[in-house]
Amino acid sequence: MALINVAAREIHCKIVYYGPGMCGKTTNLQYIHSQVPKEIKGDLLSIATETERTLFFDFLPLDLGKVRGFQTRFHLYTVPGQVLYERTRVAVLNGADGVVFVADSHKKKMQENVNSLRELAQNVTRQNKKFSEFPIVVQYNKRDLPEDVLVSVQTMDHYLGVTRMNWPRIEAVATTGAGVFETLRAISRAVISKL
Amino acid sequence: MDPQLTSIIVPSEELVQIEECLGRLVEDTSSDYALLLDKSGQVISSKGDADRQDITALGALIAGVFASSREVAKLLRERDFRNTFQQGVRENIFIALIEEQWILCIIFNKGTHIGLVKVLTKKATDELATVLERVRQQHKARDEVLGSSFRTSMEDTIDLLFRD
Repeated sequence: MALINVAAREIHCKIVYYGPGMCGKTTNLQYIHSQVPKEIKGDLLSIATETERTLFFDFLPLDLGKVRGFQTRFHLYTVPGQVLYERTRVAVLNGADGVVFVADSHKKKMQENVNSLRELAQNVTRQNKKFSEFPIVVQYNKRDLPEDVLVSVQTMDHYLGVTRMNWPRIEAVATTGAGVFETLRAISRAVISKL
Repeated sequence: MDPQLTSIIVPSEELVQIEECLGRLVEDTSSDYALLLDKSGQVISSKGDADRQDITALGALIAGVFASSREVAKLLRERDFRNTFQQGVRENIFIALIEEQWILCIIFNKGTHIGLVKVLTKKATDELATVLERVRQQHKARDEVLGSSFRTSMEDTIDLLFRD
């Protein structure tokens, strides 16, 4: 839920990157952190295991400056993708205004993508929000995988129900930054449209 | 409250009351810092050491701790942990939930007794709960607050700042 502080003239929005383990959620945030002007970004905070897997969340505050007199802040979070952290994902998702669902384009990851999206739907619904109306952008990450393991966009659309749900869908290679900002623009616009 | 409500608006008058409440709490308990957060981790107001630079990260982490403890409560079939207490060598943190929406956090050192913090925090949460109720009732005014041109300007800013 976005917070609008009238006296301080501030608007805060929370965006969560969701998806199965190792799909590239943290990489998205790392790329954004490396590229945005320093005057708009805060420190990238990561609570990770010793092997650099996300344990709780990554957090990147972005301060967009004043828009029509309102200081506007976007807070980006990732969830831990591994199956055992389901409850932790619920905790991080709390109060989110929008979600980027990062799907892995590897053919061996399709079932994990589907399971993770299903879990997201459950968790959004449990927060008393209508999943069909909740701002979601889907990113197909790792589009640079070799062709023999890469799932086509049409197949992913079909399995994840992207066309049916009318979600914006963006192809990406988060390690090089391709599609990362397009994704961020799309979810930011979706969140703003619901303010 | 409307479950599809996407924004919560804190009007000026209510913010003044919140600031007064936090200020009193800091003074009466001799605490270092009091922080009111939305459950999503966003800082609504804070009182205490004005030099604190890490407040945004602090808000995100404290809300994370609280959301995490709520999930623990569910696993234990406990309704909710309304309060959590973290004890350090120098600093302590006491966190209290307000009506499932806001989180009140007090940071205090060993010179302050936890019992006093608990009692006065309870009083403050009751007061803040009535403020929250008023804030919730005013959410329909959001179009007046933001104005019709806000979204257009916001989209232009997004395109400008988030470009490849």
